[in-house]
Amino acid sequence: MTAVAAAPAVSPWRLSGAGLAARGLAYLGLAVVLFLPSFATDFSKTCSLAVIYALMGLSLNIVVGYTGQLSLGHQGFLGLGALVTANIVAQAQLPIWLAMACAVLATTGVALVLGLVALRITGLYLSLITLVFGSAISSSLFALARFTDNNSGVKIQRPHYLATNGDWYLVCVAVLLVVFYFDYRLTVSKVGRALLALKENERVAEAFGIGVTSYKLLAFALSGAIAGLAGGLYAFRGELYSEKDFQDPNGFTLALLFVVMCVVGGLGNRLGVVVAGLFFGLINELLDDLFYAHWVHPWMQHVPVLGSYYSSDVKASYLASLIGALLLLQTLIFNRGGLGAQLRPISRWMTGHRFELHDATHSGPAVAEGSSVRA
Amino acid sequence: MILAFDPQQQLGQPLVLGVIEGSVYGLIALGLVLLYKSNRIFNFAQAEFGTIAALTAYFGYNGKLFGIPWHMPWIVAVIVGIFLGTLSAVLTERLVIRPLFHQPKVIMVVGTVGVLLASIAVEYLVFPTGGVAALPSVTDVGLHDPAFRVGFAGYNVSWEQVLTLLVLVAMALAAVAFFRYSRQGTAILAVSQEPTAAATVGISISRVSLLTWTLAGFLGSVAGIVSIGGAPLLVPGIMTGTALVGGITAAVLGGVTSMPGAFVGGLLVGLVHQYTQAFLSFPGAQNVAVGLVLLLVLLVFPRGLLGSET
Repeated sequence: MTAVAAAPAVSPWRLSGAGLAARGLAYLGLAVVLFLPSFATDFSKTCSLAVIYALMGLSLNIVVGYTGQLSLGHQGFLGLGALVTANIVAQAQLPIWLAMACAVLATTGVALVLGLVALRITGLYLSLITLVFGSAISSSLFALARFTDNNSGVKIQRPHYLATNGDWYLVCVAVLLVVFYFDYRLTVSKVGRALLALKENERVAEAFGIGVTSYKLLAFALSGAIAGLAGGLYAFRGELYSEKDFQDPNGFTLALLFVVMCVVGGLGNRLGVVVAGLFFGLINELLDDLFYAHWVHPWMQHVPVLGSYYSSDVKASYLASLIGALLLLQTLIFNRGGLGAQLRPISRWMTGHRFELHDATHSGPAVAEGSSVRA
Repeated sequence: MILAFDPQQQLGQPLVLGVIEGSVYGLIALGLVLLYKSNRIFNFAQAEFGTIAALTAYFGYNGKLFGIPWHMPWIVAVIVGIFLGTLSAVLTERLVIRPLFHQPKVIMVVGTVGVLLASIAVEYLVFPTGGVAALPSVTDVGLHDPAFRVGFAGYNVSWEQVLTLLVLVAMALAAVAFFRYSRQGTAILAVSQEPTAAATVGISISRVSLLTWTLAGFLGSVAGIVSIGGAPLLVPGIMTGTALVGGITAAVLGGVTSMPGAFVGGLLVGLVHQYTQAFLSFPGAQNVAVGLVLLLVLLVFPRGLLGSET
């Protein structure tokens, strides 16, 4: 960073011992918060879903945030990962890790095919292709009787050393942390810079010697691989593969939810996307259990006009999707950086910088806020 | 394998059903093309305007709307439904599209996705139902005889199906005439081609945008009213589930800027659906076939079948 060295009188600021200790404590607190749900039985299952959503957010973020293409078919990759994992474990009795590796291979392959299409077709047309891809693969391949145990759903079991929901939750968190670090390494490497250049202007990037074809394919392959991993985790989370989870209308809602997560988190901002993913994974169950069943519902019945036509089978998930939609719109209209930009002072502090609410020294491809996604 | 080949059953029936199914896609596609012409985006909430219209019409006619049993006459319920569907499009334009006017197009598209999600959620909250079984068809209600059917070349076709086709043809013709002969239509085209120049000669971009969304909302609402009538189940989000993908595919197949293209594309998607259903029996065959046709057309004719405008 020669530019920094040349700048006159940059006030020297170094991390003090106390600051280091405070940050250490913060990391410890974060670790404890991440670890705590593993003691609960049902709640840890909800939390695993949240972690899987966060993984899907990272996966979609590579396509939407880094290469600037809108994909509306990512539930197809999640479902394919779950399908391959569950069927390999149930039908071939292979060990769980091998099955998940196969799932990653399968989704990577399919993502590469989609990437080949994306070389020819871009922008809105590509988002349509992905939309059709998601609904086609989930209604055809996922529903074949031989992959769904004759439409009853494939039942699988976790290995005995990971038998409880809490154990599986910890596996999910570990995978998320690894993928998060991998994603960080990706963005600060040559590949990350190449992807950013591609997003900003494909032709200029090509003129600078960046291989458009290979980098685009790489982005799709990586996105597919992460989604396949998430699919494997998903299959073992409920110890059941059921195609209904990924078929329309559930599948379409899921695909939209992943896009909402990416935008609310901040396009191209991995921390924001992960936080948004965790939020949207948790909000459904939390609204249903705590907020709605115990608070809103008993209260609504006594409201004069509303209560008379209010019915108890309105589920909180609609409230959740309403909240999601409103968050999405407010992010687009008022706050284009998303959650990631809001969290930036904290994340900067946590990585050993001074706490500043407004810093102008954004650097690195990960902070492409308000990023120019191509139309 | 097909052992006994029956031309009427195998070839004729899918043709009739395909044209009728396709006319719903065509109606959705018309609205999408209209918006693409003016804003250069796909509106993912287009089909949902139809659900809003259909739900409002149904609950106005035969249930409680906002907690009050209105018991509207059928025609009033339909008009109120179309009005609310159109109103939701107008609100979309004012609250979401307008603030995103100068943002990248994909951001605007994601905005319409937000509108879609929000409207499904609001429908669930406003219409207190997990789904209404066996809804009487809106047109049958209008004709006071649910059993009334017309015979068409040996096939049973219900009135609302014929009506759907007629409405599609009428709307497509009206749209073509609107863009060719009316001042407002020409203004929309002018803004879509060169907003700055259009503003210079005195066209209000804001008014044109509002007009386009109103028309698109009207088209979507009409599609909802005519196609949902015979549906066995009316649930929030149903038009998006049944007609959105077909509609967008139809618009793209026809070449997103062409009104006749939307018409042709809609019929094409409907026919592909029905013929794959008639000849192939594996699950989801129709969706795969439509996907392949779309991919093929986009790779061979990147501008769609009838797309000419650059």
